[in-house]
Amino acid sequence: MINRLLLRDVSVIRRRQYWGLVFVLPAVVFFAVFFLYPLVIGFGLSLTDFTLLRPPVWVGLDNYIDLLSDRLFLKSINVTLGFVFGSTVPTWILSLLAALLFYQKFPGREGLKLLFFSPLLPSVAVVSVIWVVLLHPSGILTDIVGPLVGKSSITWLHDLTLSPIVIVVARIWSVIPFYMLIWLAGLTAIPQELRDAALVDGANRRQSFLRVELPLLRPTAVFVMAVSTIAAFQGFTLQFIIAPNQGGPVDVNTTLGVVIWKYGFQFYRMGDAAAVSVVLFAFIMIVTSVQLKLGSSDRFSLQ
Amino acid sequence: MANSRQHESNAAFEARLRKRITTLILFCTAVLVAVIFGFPMYFMGISAFKAESEILATPFRWLPETFVGFEHYARAFELAPIGQWYLNSVFAAALQVSVAIFVGAMAGYGFAKFRFRGKRILFALILSIMAVPFQILLIPLFVLVRQFGWDDSYAGLIMPGIISAFGVFMMRQFAFAIPDELLDAARIDGAGEFRIFLLIALPLLAPAAASLAIILFLFSWNNFLWPLVVARDRALLTLPVGMTQFSQPYRGEPIVGPSMAVSTLATLPVALLFLFFQRYFIEGMMVSGIKG
Repeated sequence: MINRLLLRDVSVIRRRQYWGLVFVLPAVVFFAVFFLYPLVIGFGLSLTDFTLLRPPVWVGLDNYIDLLSDRLFLKSINVTLGFVFGSTVPTWILSLLAALLFYQKFPGREGLKLLFFSPLLPSVAVVSVIWVVLLHPSGILTDIVGPLVGKSSITWLHDLTLSPIVIVVARIWSVIPFYMLIWLAGLTAIPQELRDAALVDGANRRQSFLRVELPLLRPTAVFVMAVSTIAAFQGFTLQFIIAPNQGGPVDVNTTLGVVIWKYGFQFYRMGDAAAVSVVLFAFIMIVTSVQLKLGSSDRFSLQ
Repeated sequence: MANSRQHESNAAFEARLRKRITTLILFCTAVLVAVIFGFPMYFMGISAFKAESEILATPFRWLPETFVGFEHYARAFELAPIGQWYLNSVFAAALQVSVAIFVGAMAGYGFAKFRFRGKRILFALILSIMAVPFQILLIPLFVLVRQFGWDDSYAGLIMPGIISAFGVFMMRQFAFAIPDELLDAARIDGAGEFRIFLLIALPLLAPAAASLAIILFLFSWNNFLWPLVVARDRALLTLPVGMTQFSQPYRGEPIVGPSMAVSTLATLPVALLFLFFQRYFIEGMMVSGIKG
């Protein structure tokens, strides 16, 4: 009797567990259609010469081989790497400095922090539109920099050297408050006792920061570096809107993202665009795996 | 004795002075940093009220000399179907946030509270979605949406983003906190599984979903790449895509004022969210890494 009851219970529980599948089903079906399937046909398309106009023809690895001698693609790798290094390294340092600044106590801190956070609000499209105006040849940036170099008009965006730099500046401006928040959370998580202990042991503030806090911030540092690098590899909107002619002048702002858009939606060369996407995917996977490696072997941790 | 006390208070005075100076330096640095970072947003807001000739004037005018009221806003609405774009953005965001929250809650609840075959691999699928950047999917997703006959339609604009993997992931985290006893009690009372989800789990998940809702709203409201490629009809554009038309002069007429007005309109809902729900806003941004 007891045995039969138990058996019934087990089957009730087992039947109940199927409900889990029912609950996750809508999401799973959706992602099968709008994630897994496109991911697979993306790889497939990169092996065809599909142009939207005629049915795809299998070309094997031809698209990839063509990319090796494709000047726009090769240039875009340089442009992307330049944008990645140019924007991430200053972002790491400046956002950490900003976090250290706002971690201190001083009057008016909360109000000033709020003002500092304002770049969190606009979308990248808004950021771009504003910076186009700030970078007007006789705009506010010229007013500030112009007198130093003796110019009354600077064509920031049409200059081959200046335009990638100012786009990096716009980028840094728009993301620093976000990474500062991450650093600040990391700093706040360090127990005050550890700092006090270091001070009692005779360390000064600087030593305490370098020897105690910085090692404990390592997971935060890995996170900030990985997220900012992965995001910068996908640089698109700033270059698309701010730079003249979508990624110009003379393609100095044509990132891999812009190439995907150009091949796909300007020239309708979907096969080539898909191949560039796969290359971008490979770059990002490399960054992700480095992050996982750095993040896991944690010699310094509170746990 | 007196001498040493004198000495001591001198030292104390010096320490206090040094602390004052440090605080002053910190304060001045923070003011400088805050002004640099706050300036572009101030520039956007104030320029929308300046005469066109004054926006780029040297030296910069902190307040408009000739206040033009909402002239630039009105001009922006004349130049482009801003109202339509605004509605499109609101419509897309409302639909995407509510469906993603509901379906995300369902899936998160399923993953957290049930054991079933294939659960681990299905959850791994959800996690892998978050690791794959959207640009990789852009081309094949566009081809797919075209096959469905959805290009240049609301369905194409909204459907691919209507459920969020991040939403499922967050909801699963929240659902772990629902006590099993509560669910079992309802089962003993004879409630069906779907009723239990709707009447017990969902209300418990709702408050936790506040920061998730804000993030999903930002994802949708700020989305640029997908609406850019999928919407060609001018009436179907969303605000971020449409407003880029303002970054160039209109038939030789400088339209910096209207472009700043549109930018302000696009940022206003986000600014309000930030002011009223600052904690959830910042929390949500940090867990999602949205700004990146």
